Amino acid sequence: MTGAGMDGGLRERVPSPGPIRPYHFPEVARIRLEGGLELRLVHTPSLPVATAMLVMRFGESALSPDEAGLAVLAADSLEGGTELRSAGELAHALDGIGASWGAATGWDSTTVAVSCLPDHLGEAMPLLAEMVRRPSFDEEEFARHRARQQAAASQRLMDPASMAVDRFAHTLYGRGGLYGRPLTGTPEAIGALTADAAARLVGRFYGPADAALVLVGDLERSEAVALAESAWGGWEREAVPVPDAAPPLRAGERSVHVVNRPGSVQSEIRVGHVGIRRAVEDYLPLIVFNLVLGGSFSSRLNLNLRERRGLTYGVRSSFAARRAAGPFSVSTAVETASTESAVVEIVREIEAMATDGPTTDEVDAATSYLAGVFPLRLQSAGQIASRVAGSFIHDLPEGYNRSYRDRVREVTREEAAQSARRHLHPDGLCTVVVGDAEAVGSQLEGLGMGEVAVHEAAGL
Amino acid sequence: MVASHESTLANGLRVVIAPDRTTPVVAVNVWYQVGSRSEPPGRTGFAHLFEHMMFQGSEHVARNGHFQHIETVGGSANATTWFDRTSYYETVPSHHLDLALWLEADRMGWLLPAMNSEKLENQRQVVMNERRERYDNQPYGDWDERVQSLLFPASHPYHHTVIGSMEDIESATLEDVHDFFETHYRPGNAILTIAGDCEPEGALDRVRRYFGEIRAGPPSPPVPGEERIPLATGGTRRSDVQAAVPLPRVYLACRAPAFTTEAFYAGEAVSSCLGSGRSSRLYERLVRTGVAKSASCHHLPLTSGCAIMLAVATGLEDADAAELEEALAAEMEGVRDLGEEELHRAVVGAETRNLRALQRAQLRAEMLSSYAAHFGSTSRLNDDLRRLRRVTLDEARVWCEEYLHADNRVVVRYRPESGK
Repeated sequence: MTGAGMDGGLRERVPSPGPIRPYHFPEVARIRLEGGLELRLVHTPSLPVATAMLVMRFGESALSPDEAGLAVLAADSLEGGTELRSAGELAHALDGIGASWGAATGWDSTTVAVSCLPDHLGEAMPLLAEMVRRPSFDEEEFARHRARQQAAASQRLMDPASMAVDRFAHTLYGRGGLYGRPLTGTPEAIGALTADAAARLVGRFYGPADAALVLVGDLERSEAVALAESAWGGWEREAVPVPDAAPPLRAGERSVHVVNRPGSVQSEIRVGHVGIRRAVEDYLPLIVFNLVLGGSFSSRLNLNLRERRGLTYGVRSSFAARRAAGPFSVSTAVETASTESAVVEIVREIEAMATDGPTTDEVDAATSYLAGVFPLRLQSAGQIASRVAGSFIHDLPEGYNRSYRDRVREVTREEAAQSARRHLHPDGLCTVVVGDAEAVGSQLEGLGMGEVAVHEAAGL
Repeated sequence: MVASHESTLANGLRVVIAPDRTTPVVAVNVWYQVGSRSEPPGRTGFAHLFEHMMFQGSEHVARNGHFQHIETVGGSANATTWFDRTSYYETVPSHHLDLALWLEADRMGWLLPAMNSEKLENQRQVVMNERRERYDNQPYGDWDERVQSLLFPASHPYHHTVIGSMEDIESATLEDVHDFFETHYRPGNAILTIAGDCEPEGALDRVRRYFGEIRAGPPSPPVPGEERIPLATGGTRRSDVQAAVPLPRVYLACRAPAFTTEAFYAGEAVSSCLGSGRSSRLYERLVRTGVAKSASCHHLPLTSGCAIMLAVATGLEDADAAELEEALAAEMEGVRDLGEEELHRAVVGAETRNLRALQRAQLRAEMLSSYAAHFGSTSRLNDDLRRLRRVTLDEARVWCEEYLHADNRVVVRYRPESGK
């Protein structure tokens, strides 16, 4: 071949690693601002961009089903103007300094962030605080955001992956149950939300007591504190504590739900059950076995369904780690005719993992991956800020990120296997298939996956 | 400012090394100057299918060994195929640089002994499922096929999409794999960039070690078809689609000066004014007014005779697709009256976006490879912002007048089956 004549050893042997360069998660200083807001400050001298992120431990899970989507809508509507400036003026001020900015709302948290050159933080930080502390909820702007959220919710009703996610959540948690509805609400529910309700919600839940300001950038401590203090100092509003999340549910009986989408060339598949809380004791062993099951390209599921059988473009498994038990799910999309074989193989892999756990080699590879990939995901100010914010949301102990790599390397095969036994429930698997019901339906009978229910409409 | 060292090996492989020791992470990017435009008739989608075959092992690397090796050391790897290029990349903890180079070298030099028809059949199925998942089973999933086939004549290499047709994917053979490799996957047709935590001389020595022996091979053939194309379609070409989509949506595309031309920068400024941020034209005048749910503008940096500017607007529920199209077209034509402050905001926004992206080693590597490929040198990357800042109001306005009008336009318009 083309390499004839070269020293064979070079090609035949996998190269050995060079000397390792240590990586340390940056120091995070915790500073209490006047009024009570906590500043989490990270000094990153070599990064050209800075990120300021207000993170609050308040999200959609605090709301009753009749307010579904309001936390998302309220946060997105913060850009609709403040007591001091209109939406357009706000956008011009922030875009004028090249900032990127916006809000994001999950089940457990709301974040409002701005990222810009460190030199512009003096302008950006007060604007961030103004949006959070003095939103106007202008009627017209609010109505516009509501219409957009409503349209996005309608889009979900025709997008096969969203349809599968929503039906799966609905089946696991029930209509009124926590996590049982789409995060952003349904089109009908969103239509009933008002600007007054958004203002009341912000008045009730936004406050410094259960929030932190994460600031990552090339700023000296004194400069950063002064900047934060001038924008956020004196933010004293008493926020109502977010109600405790509901206790975790148990996995139920096996069941199959087919959502009819006539003419689909593929089936969108979800298989799983109610999973874990983020605070679960064996979180790291769980991450390790899940990585082996379906958390990476080289996972058992992907090598089986994609690389061995060519059934799919990709398949993955995940545990949603929330304050209360989020879903565990395996997700994939396969050609309609392969629906049965895909479900059979997914269940086979879940059962094998639950029974025997991962092998020693698999655990070694997985822990090595997790330890190695950690700094890869912490290259930018935004990535570091998100990591720090995540630690705040889930109330992880100080130093958690600094010791993460050492702790993940210590996970043993026995721990991972035990965690798999504890957290995988093959007898309680719920299967959701979004596809052409006529072509799919009969394939799923008699598989031992439980009774097959067919749902005609996409709406829940 | 990204500092980089460039050199060329005897076999023609161009090497770019950009050290930055902020985080102990290093990225490798191998950029082959072959993409969907290189596909002969009847073989659409083959460049992308071939990309999949590059992960099926090589003479000294087992099937799926590439991902397994990289994931085991805590790295990430992937590849993307586009019109003009195919880009392969790994990011690894920096003490595993050798591993990434060894893997890339093995498939650049010793891929074919590991190819067989069973692997091809497997990846053919994977890619067909990729097409189903990302296009055929998606609302609006055929928009790019429609846009490209209208924007370019059948003789032009951008007439067909990167994913290609199901029929062509199905008919690809093992012989095609061999031919494609021999034709395009040569050191002289590639750029290798290393960005991140490395020591430049040592890194170059390693590149020589792993890649130096790979045979140069023949020069690459010209792109098939006729690349030269007038920068106007000579009228509005349209495709009206009634389909199972939730909301009306309009795609408006035009031919624009290629990435490698000076005029490209004025297009960048215009694109930014139209679609970047919530102070942009499309946001202020379509989204904030409630005409559209969302609207964006994209300026694709292509090089075969032209680039593409593409604007997309999605209507709110019950919006009228024709009115949406009219409003979007009005903004595309109206942007020629843009002002000094708008232009300034566009440039400032582009600057910060650029810096933000360059924080990550992989994106840095990809950008450097791109500039080395298209301009013969990476210094152009650092010069880019200066060029963008230099765009005058007159240049931007003239650019709009020349390219954003009804005689250089493709419209693809979707209406929900139940709606107006």
